[in-house]
Amino acid sequence: MTDTTEPDDLLAALRALVGTEGPPTTPRHPVDETLVAHWCDAMGDDHPVYVDPDAAAASVHGGLVAPPATLDIWDRGGLKHARSADSPRGRALALLEAAGFTSVVAVNSELELRRYVRPGELLSNVEILDAVSEEKATGLGVGHFVTTRHRYSTADGEHVGDLLFRVLKFKPGTGRPAPGPGEGAPPPPDPDPALRPRPAINLDNEFFWEGARRHELRIQQCRGCQALHNPPTPRCPDCGSFDQGWIVASGRGHLYSFAVPRYPQVRGFRYPVLVGLVELEEGARLVSNVVGVTREQLSVGMPLEVCWLDSHPAQVEGETDARGPITLPQFRPATPPRREATLAAADVAEGDALPLFAVPVTTTLIVAGALATRDFTDVHHDRDAAVRAGSPDVFMNINTTLGLTERYVTDWAGPDAVVRALRVRLGAPNHPGDILAFSGSVQSVDPATGAVVVALQGANGLGAHVTGTVELTLPTASTPTQEASR
Amino acid sequence: MTAHAYAGRTAIAGIGATEFSKRSGRSELRLALEACVAALDDAGVAPEQVSGLSTFTMDTNPESDVMRSLGIKELTHFSRVHFGGGAPCGTVQLAAMAVHEGVADYVLCYRAFNERSGHRFGTGVQDRVPGHTAEEVAYAWTSPFGLLTPASWIAMFATRMMHEFGVTSEDFGRVAVADRRHAATNPRAWFYEQPITLEDHQNSRWIVEPLHLLDCCQETDGGQAILVTSLERARDLRRPPVVIEGAAQGMAEDQQMMRSFFRDEITGLPEMGVCARQIWETSGLGPDDVQTAVVYDHFTPFVLPQLEEFGFCARGEAKDFIADGNIELGGRLPVNTHGGQLGEGYLHGMNGIAEGVRQVRGTSVNQVDGAEHVLVTGGTGVPTSALLLGAA
Repeated sequence: MTDTTEPDDLLAALRALVGTEGPPTTPRHPVDETLVAHWCDAMGDDHPVYVDPDAAAASVHGGLVAPPATLDIWDRGGLKHARSADSPRGRALALLEAAGFTSVVAVNSELELRRYVRPGELLSNVEILDAVSEEKATGLGVGHFVTTRHRYSTADGEHVGDLLFRVLKFKPGTGRPAPGPGEGAPPPPDPDPALRPRPAINLDNEFFWEGARRHELRIQQCRGCQALHNPPTPRCPDCGSFDQGWIVASGRGHLYSFAVPRYPQVRGFRYPVLVGLVELEEGARLVSNVVGVTREQLSVGMPLEVCWLDSHPAQVEGETDARGPITLPQFRPATPPRREATLAAADVAEGDALPLFAVPVTTTLIVAGALATRDFTDVHHDRDAAVRAGSPDVFMNINTTLGLTERYVTDWAGPDAVVRALRVRLGAPNHPGDILAFSGSVQSVDPATGAVVVALQGANGLGAHVTGTVELTLPTASTPTQEASR
Repeated sequence: MTAHAYAGRTAIAGIGATEFSKRSGRSELRLALEACVAALDDAGVAPEQVSGLSTFTMDTNPESDVMRSLGIKELTHFSRVHFGGGAPCGTVQLAAMAVHEGVADYVLCYRAFNERSGHRFGTGVQDRVPGHTAEEVAYAWTSPFGLLTPASWIAMFATRMMHEFGVTSEDFGRVAVADRRHAATNPRAWFYEQPITLEDHQNSRWIVEPLHLLDCCQETDGGQAILVTSLERARDLRRPPVVIEGAAQGMAEDQQMMRSFFRDEITGLPEMGVCARQIWETSGLGPDDVQTAVVYDHFTPFVLPQLEEFGFCARGEAKDFIADGNIELGGRLPVNTHGGQLGEGYLHGMNGIAEGVRQVRGTSVNQVDGAEHVLVTGGTGVPTSALLLGAA
């Protein structure tokens, strides 16, 4: 039927569904402490009010609560219980599927919380089809945006929050070519790190590279006088000993200087290359790359922490490379510590920058995040399925992005900050091997009410993965933060 | 107190060079020979009188080939200096020592290459085969991370200078503007009649931030030779002798080859400080006695700490010394009156020695009045060398 459907007819059929309302979902399980714990593990969120009953009891929440970003996961069907195709969105997507728009990605999620929900509560939502766009040409492909609104309530009918959700239903393989270099310009170099120059390794420095393969940052230490020397040397220039060992450095340090090569461009690097001279907290320095930051975010003195690039594989075209695999130390912005004492509204000013936060995107994070948000869509855990859908690899689901966004802002604000809304828009997908780098700033503060809006973005190697805002309430001088009334 | 016995008793008797181009169309050996012949002609010395040769380890022209083609019958001294552009004044020092010791009567120092039409140093070291020597292993700490060119190594120091001393890209640019101003009136300079403005500098593209294109020296084909002999012999030759008042090499603690990133401080050039101390102690002179200087300028940022290491200004204040116009013609210390390696040509600093000789002789196209003592420095970031030249 599909190939003969006229675009106008399709749009008319879709638009006829706009405004229709589905039945309330039928949740199978209540808000669940165990899944909250899995969610916290996946997101790296150590917020105590989600998992620590004593800390939660002493908090503004008075007891355990579920992370705000989980509002829309609790009434999901699960692996064997797919979302009803009979919902308004399900019907719209079915029409599009039949017309050849076979792939889907989430692009917007805007959660508004009237209050935090608690373990044991049974949530369900009522869905309304809000809008279907005209056919749009997007980077992913030609498709339609489908927007729904969801009203979340408890079993006794209390309205606890709302969600605006937008997906793009598109034809795979019809995307615009990525913006490339200008006409006549050479193609960008292949960023395959295996094409980078290999380090020369001999008896004097092999301990460093053996350590790197194990993701240990080894710095030579003299067994005679304990002095550190990097680059290593067979004889300690301080005490004269030839007896040299090493320590495993913490990997924490700061940027002592940097250079940004742009020309000439050689294989194995993406230009401009951000090269840092890193001073470790133990005192030694080494040259490395700074990752998870833009050129503009580089500044002398910025705190950094080591991460690892397995650059040269053990096997090349099925043959073992006799030279051995190579792993390179890299440095990302130091993960900001979770604030223990909540920021007061008076401590915050418009324009204040949040610290940089770089999240390594791994297959484990993508899969764990998808499952912890009860999202069993195959493209988030099955590489073959993702490739069939036109993607180079699995990619992060929107709820994981939402969770990381929430963690970023609440780690900055402190345990008694209350999230009122999370609004994100997705762009470039997060694939394994990339780094999701969050940056943000305070967009507005109301000192009287403690209402703060943080604007943020998370960029990866492909561009802006997420942009959005988080609305929260901070304690004010006169009134400590109060949870919205129940 | 350092007191080099050869200082004040040896001299430069002749200088000679090829043209400086982007494509010489001749072999590097031929460039070396042309430069040597020109230096001998300049002095009025016959090739058979030469008994010593001194050059760079990086030079591709073996002393045996140079000797054969010059028609030299016997060589009693041949020596080379390592570490690339740090070598130029070092070759002259070795020559002077050999002459003073009576090992050789006339020593030719030479450097010739097709650095633009042949192997270009600026294209990077990414294709070096990782060997097992200490020199190769040293690259392991930088090359896998994309720090592959001399510009990229120097950029790391430059960023730190900017951070610690408030140096700006414009401060680096003023060095380029001075060089190009001086080159504009030097017919031998590649950039003859092509001065630049600070705006040109700022608008030139990035090579490695914080270095713009116009912070980087040229790539040049050419050859330069310097003839060294005793002051006594030099007095009887064609040109007035230019006295070697001081000559020094220098390395300092925790020295690395252009990548001394691991010292407590990386905004100075302690190896140049080692040269400065020897030069001033040997000559009994100081910065106030010097009227003009040839300051090694492969990349503009390292001109600043050289001025500081030799005491022309205090540490961290070279940017102000330069901004006040001191390094241009008419200033307190005109620098690189031939146009430097940004303006005249990049001959690994050997052409700078020739300009120092011309200033003492009074024959520079940009002659500084009363140029009695002229400082010349070798490459920066590397183990290096320096010369103080003066009138007899």
